[in-house]
Amino acid sequence: MRTGLYEQLIRAGATRRDLLKGAASMAALSAASSAGLGALTRPASAADDLRAQILQVPGVGKGQPTDADFQKVGEMCLGATKASVKPGEFAGVELTFMGLNNQNLHNVLYRGFLKAWEDYTGAKFNWIDLAQADYNPRLQQAIATGTVDFDVIEMGAPFEGDVCGKGLASEMPDWVKKQIDMDDIVAYLKPPVGTWNGKQYRVTVDGDAHNFNYRTDVFSDSDLTAAWKADSGDKAGLTEWGVPKTWQQVQAVTKFLKGKKFKGQDVYGYLDAPKPWGGFGFYFLGSRASAYAKHPDDKAWLFDPDTMKPRVNNPAWVRAIQDVIDALPFEPQDQINADPNQTCFSQFLGGTGSMLAWWGDAGSNAKTSDSSVVGDVTGFSILPGSDDVYNSKTGKWDKLASGPNYAPNCAYIGWGVYVMARVDSDEKKKKAAWSAAAHLGGKDLSLWCAAYPSGFQPYRNSHFNIPEWVAAGYDEAFITSYLKSEADSYNHPNAAIEPRIPGIFQYYSAAEDILANTFAGKMKAQEGADAIAAAWEKLTDQIGREKQIELYKASLGL
Amino acid sequence: MAEQTLPTNEWPANGGPADLIAPGRKRLGFALMAAATLGLLAVIALQILYKSEVTTLGFESWQPVVYAYVLWGVALGAGQVLTRGEDGQRALFLLPALLFTIAMVIFPTLFGFYIALTDWNLSSFAGRRFNGLDNFWQMLGDPYYRNALFNMVLYVLAVAVEYVIAFGLALLLNAQIRARKFFRVVFLLPLMLSPVAVSWMIGKSLMEYRFGPAATLARHLGWDNPAFFSDPIIARIAIMVLDAWTFIPFMMIMLLAGLQAMSREVLEAARVDGANAWQTFWQVTFPLMLPVSVTALILRIIFKLKLADIIITVTSGGPGGATDSVSSFIYREYRDRSNVGYGTMLAMAYLVIIVVFVTWLLKFANRFVRNVN
Repeated sequence: MRTGLYEQLIRAGATRRDLLKGAASMAALSAASSAGLGALTRPASAADDLRAQILQVPGVGKGQPTDADFQKVGEMCLGATKASVKPGEFAGVELTFMGLNNQNLHNVLYRGFLKAWEDYTGAKFNWIDLAQADYNPRLQQAIATGTVDFDVIEMGAPFEGDVCGKGLASEMPDWVKKQIDMDDIVAYLKPPVGTWNGKQYRVTVDGDAHNFNYRTDVFSDSDLTAAWKADSGDKAGLTEWGVPKTWQQVQAVTKFLKGKKFKGQDVYGYLDAPKPWGGFGFYFLGSRASAYAKHPDDKAWLFDPDTMKPRVNNPAWVRAIQDVIDALPFEPQDQINADPNQTCFSQFLGGTGSMLAWWGDAGSNAKTSDSSVVGDVTGFSILPGSDDVYNSKTGKWDKLASGPNYAPNCAYIGWGVYVMARVDSDEKKKKAAWSAAAHLGGKDLSLWCAAYPSGFQPYRNSHFNIPEWVAAGYDEAFITSYLKSEADSYNHPNAAIEPRIPGIFQYYSAAEDILANTFAGKMKAQEGADAIAAAWEKLTDQIGREKQIELYKASLGL
Repeated sequence: MAEQTLPTNEWPANGGPADLIAPGRKRLGFALMAAATLGLLAVIALQILYKSEVTTLGFESWQPVVYAYVLWGVALGAGQVLTRGEDGQRALFLLPALLFTIAMVIFPTLFGFYIALTDWNLSSFAGRRFNGLDNFWQMLGDPYYRNALFNMVLYVLAVAVEYVIAFGLALLLNAQIRARKFFRVVFLLPLMLSPVAVSWMIGKSLMEYRFGPAATLARHLGWDNPAFFSDPIIARIAIMVLDAWTFIPFMMIMLLAGLQAMSREVLEAARVDGANAWQTFWQVTFPLMLPVSVTALILRIIFKLKLADIIITVTSGGPGGATDSVSSFIYREYRDRSNVGYGTMLAMAYLVIIVVFVTWLLKFANRFVRNVN
């Protein structure tokens, strides 16, 4: 959807939720505005054609995209670069890009996207590919030892404190802001995310939040409906068999499904990821905890913002840890040895388990990945809520008048492309680096990334135009459900936002080790949580408490 | 021969030619070495003061110190020749290797000990801070490190089982069997594979709970829930098996070489004396193979003490630290938590433990072999 139209519709009183109901509701809403109607009925523009064309490469349901597809899309989206760069303008410039190669995505795609850009501009890219788990230490070492050996980096917002705060990044020139249409980015990814001391550094290429993925076939199965009805166990308010809306219901359903058969096979409920995953595994406990721990009246949920005293051992987090302990015996036998990579790509997409909290990759891969068998039977929502929420200020559990508390976990805040300050001394190199970053963060290219397996999720208002996705071959019900879960997570008033503080992954990694012991039964939930809190306190002192307090408050907008 | 070479060796050592070196040349040599040493020390001192922000004069990187060290090495070599003549020239053969070892082994080790005495978290705003033995005391109270050390004891004990299997295989391949050469190559294949590849192919594919052939086979054999990495004891055994599968060929090939080098006459003599196969093995083959066995065992134990890759890939030390090795724990502490100071202390303490243990092992093995033979 065009930004102008979107804004007009919003001004006319539409909510994003309304917009996501599809083209029909959009037409109805736009009837309120003749300009909106005019815009909707205008002939397709060249830009719309391009978007439609790139979404046909290779076409949803026609197998996983290959390098030839990446190159083709990169070439088709080169218009903005051609408008700002002369052919061969960067001849002789060599740049190094550091990023991930998870699941053969990220850098693997970027190589293809940048091929036409390199051919046109004459610049050349060298690549540093890293596995997810190697990324943090590689970046931390480069920062700490002053050995930044890359010009452009794919980086998550949690590292902005480490990189931008230490003057290692190049400030975004105004022409880049225009080229990538910064205003199109969804609200929660706008400044302060991507900025430091008021300066813009980040070309956003991804939006991140954990949403809730579930199996529509399991939750509409008649046998299970009957069995649920006959079941006398605790149903946590889920009177009719259906998709759980709270974590209490997730627990009840997970316990209920143990030992049940679906289509002749064992069926399981929620999939936890207890095995450490380089710090990233902690997000999955976070997703279980956010509804318990993130109170609508309190922006903080991980630490007390005035003291950096950890909240991870408060009753809310302990309840989440206990939930995992309680659920594990009802999950697949080897679940204790499952990391998030396994729960999503091996288990859920492979047909094991019926509920999973994950980043949007689960949804974008469900339809388009060759290894997925659940493309037609996956539904999405924001993370489950909780009947009650812990109030850290009063030390009591509150029941909200509005019903269950929901708090989507906006984990990691998405990837961005950043240019390093070391190119600033060479104008040609600087322009080349920013041009490449702008190409990768381009509006049209990003739509393709959101629609196909890329490692990146929707992050622009223009990504939520359902007819575009349907025209590309997506099933309307599927994509509406998927995009709605993403948009509702990003825009939720009680979203739990990742703190952009230095060393955040050290906190997570320390917690992962202790949690692994707790889940294995070596400690009780409270003991494990207390051990994590103690480790975090030590870490805060080691990194510098006053500075951390300052940055944590800033990241919460306090 | 001995009579001819002895005086040649001794002559320069007696200092004959050195005495012939002119005092001026000697003085020049000493002056050169002194100047180079002073120069090197000055560059180091300057750089330390600059990096400690005491002075504003210095270099951005430590590279000039490396250049100064190389120049010092050259000056030292020249000084040796000038002051000691032919003796000095002989020293030139050794000096590059010595200086290289100092630069690449001794200095990094000493620097490592210094890092181990610092509080250095890569995210820390204050940077690296000297904190004495704090890391050491923390290590003594660290249950995760103790757990990893305990696991290492178990892993090392498993070497005994590996040895028995390797010896059996070596005996088999030493016998007159069909396709012996083929089997020798096949048995060596696991050793040629990267442990990470083994982890993925076997640990994460063959032994995968849902679709892995090993799990399917186990189900057919009556094991309801063949999860190889969920129960602490089974997970530990599974890791031992994976590691053994990779490294048994290493011991086997050493033992096979030993068996092939063994004199046939001894075995034939035993047979003539009426010894059966059992007696021949225990009374002749095994004692004669002891030196090779000890070497194979010690090398294998050293490899085992460094076990990390399979654990990192397959279990990340889980479930609940049951399979954690010291190296995999240090890896997490250092890599995931960027806790360089503490991680280095753990590594250095482990280095000391390994050195002491292996030294004791060598002495014990020597005594054992001597007593048996």
